[in-house]
Amino acid sequence: MAELRRDPVVGRWVIVDTDYPHRPEDFDYEQNAPQSTSTCPFCYGSESMTPPEIEAIRDRETQRNSPGWQVRVIPNKFPALQVEGDLDRRGIGIYDVSNGIGAHEVLIETPYHGKDIPDLLNQEVEDFLRMYVRRCLDLKKDGRLKYIMVFRNYGSAAGASLEHPHTQIVALPMVPKNALEEIEGAKHFFEYRERCIFCDMIRQEMQDKERVIAENKYFLAFCPFVSRFPFETWIIPKKHSGHFCQITQDEMPELAVVLKDVISKMKKIFPNLSYNYIIHSSPVNSDSNVEFYHWHIEFMPKLTRVAGFEWGTGFYLDQTSPELAAQYLRSVKE
Amino acid sequence: MPELRKDPVVGRWVIVSTERSRRPDEFSTFKHEDAKELPCPFCEGNESQTPPEIYAIRQKSTYKNSPGWELRVVPSIAPFLRIEGDLDRHGKGMYDLMNGIGAHEIVVETNKHVANMADLTEAQISKVITCYIDRMQDLEKDTRFKYVLIFKNYGYSAGGSKLRHSRSQLIATPVNPKRVKEELAGAREYYNYHERCIFCDLIKQELASKERVIVEVDGFVAVTPFAARFPFEIWILPKKHSCNFVNLDMPSRDNLARIMKIVLSKLKKGLNDPPYNYIIHTAPFRRQKVGYWKSIDNDFHWHIEIMPRLTRVAGFEWGTGFYICPLPPEDGAKFLREIEV
Repeated sequence: MAELRRDPVVGRWVIVDTDYPHRPEDFDYEQNAPQSTSTCPFCYGSESMTPPEIEAIRDRETQRNSPGWQVRVIPNKFPALQVEGDLDRRGIGIYDVSNGIGAHEVLIETPYHGKDIPDLLNQEVEDFLRMYVRRCLDLKKDGRLKYIMVFRNYGSAAGASLEHPHTQIVALPMVPKNALEEIEGAKHFFEYRERCIFCDMIRQEMQDKERVIAENKYFLAFCPFVSRFPFETWIIPKKHSGHFCQITQDEMPELAVVLKDVISKMKKIFPNLSYNYIIHSSPVNSDSNVEFYHWHIEFMPKLTRVAGFEWGTGFYLDQTSPELAAQYLRSVKE
Repeated sequence: MPELRKDPVVGRWVIVSTERSRRPDEFSTFKHEDAKELPCPFCEGNESQTPPEIYAIRQKSTYKNSPGWELRVVPSIAPFLRIEGDLDRHGKGMYDLMNGIGAHEIVVETNKHVANMADLTEAQISKVITCYIDRMQDLEKDTRFKYVLIFKNYGYSAGGSKLRHSRSQLIATPVNPKRVKEELAGAREYYNYHERCIFCDLIKQELASKERVIVEVDGFVAVTPFAARFPFEIWILPKKHSCNFVNLDMPSRDNLARIMKIVLSKLKKGLNDPPYNYIIHTAPFRRQKVGYWKSIDNDFHWHIEIMPRLTRVAGFEWGTGFYICPLPPEDGAKFLREIEV
């Protein structure tokens, strides 16, 4: 008998297949294969192919928009949103429209075309994570922006349009629906119990242990009880903190270690895996008063195809229980 | 400048990218992956390879699970949910769970090995619609179920299997799914304020402006929605207000079959046989909670949503519920309008 589990934050139900759980070898996922090698705009020497850089970590005495950088941030060449202009919301009959005010940046984590996070040194991971924070703090200064989302699509099956690894940062003039739902759910719990729902979750996960993958002083990595996707993994700071920007100097190296560890384990089990991760964080500026929210990273390996049932219902089918997935991930040898 | 559009019913925002837009014909780069020549369990003559049939439209004096049928419903061999047992809800610390009770049925839409519903006759599609209605009415009798989702996954990247025999699926769930609730709540909120059905208003506006209308037949209209999530997303709506798909009368079933055939054929011809999903959005079963569904007869309006799968959903969409549609729905509608079928 399959088990239905309800997400405690947003109330979404997930079907967990406990009868015939998929083993890692049962997934027929799209392998991430190297693409034809035309000139990559994110490699050394191609800096002029991208819009001018916003910020970079680079060697001393190297020029902007030239080689010699370690992490580079540029505006998206095809932005979904643009910084210029005033926010203009209007109606067309029963419909509402707004212009696309916001920011859409691309953060290139490494000049090496073929290096994914597991191939980087801990220090290099830490460097680009620091850049995430710097960009968020900078974007936050624009009072029109209400929500900043940092996300990474790796591999074509996960929607990456360029092969060279990169992260995207989007700043929006409104809090998007999914984030709002999560915040509302957490708020509801907080009003009732006067506790953070995510802190409760961390407590229960550390006690149960069966869904925990890795742990260090400041972070916990686990497969959530209500995983939407097989091998979905969350990385969460153990200490309550609403916004990713608030991460401390001490926490940063530990986050780099746990992030690299999770992705390394995942790619050992699933070679050539495509994946997404998203940093879930509190809104910024006028909508930022959220003591009940707790930032975290949601990591989603792309092993299955979302079909009509999921679209229609918002119900997900998880073919490997999170307990089993955590067991596989825990047992990966370094 | 890209435009942000808000879905009037569920409040989802969509970014309609206008500058980077690809031309409509640039989306059709799709290749179907076929299963190796397996004997198809859904073809006439192979009835013993499926679980015993639940329902069939068959010639007189033919036996169950034998040839002589035009349409057949069988339980899924890999069901998400199972029909046996009682509902058991319980908690585990802070988490809630329930056993997986439900029904998962496969509607085999034809006895021939035809892949795309677009290639069935109107008469056959009409039978499929009748079958959906009969199955829903039957499942409604089971008081454990609250909702039946009818959907189709056509093509491998739409979540279909590599076995290409035209079929759809029906899943009865013991809870009202979240997306359904959101849609119902959005429609009710609009009704409470305006005392009009939001979908009727939407149809009126679309028929007046025409720019997103793909085709109209007697009683139905097919449009690309204003806040489309995907390029060439299509909604088929009955022009006459009705919250429940099950109440569709016989002549209307034929009209619906006609517009479905036209729309699916346009997709197939114009976009090189793309994978797609469709979902019937209809009212839930209304037996519990007296008074709860007070205004649903007036506020909700059943319809079909068709989603061609030409782009990949990536981190941004998952994280925000915000979609980026690389083709303005007006351009999609124009392109499909002009495809002759």
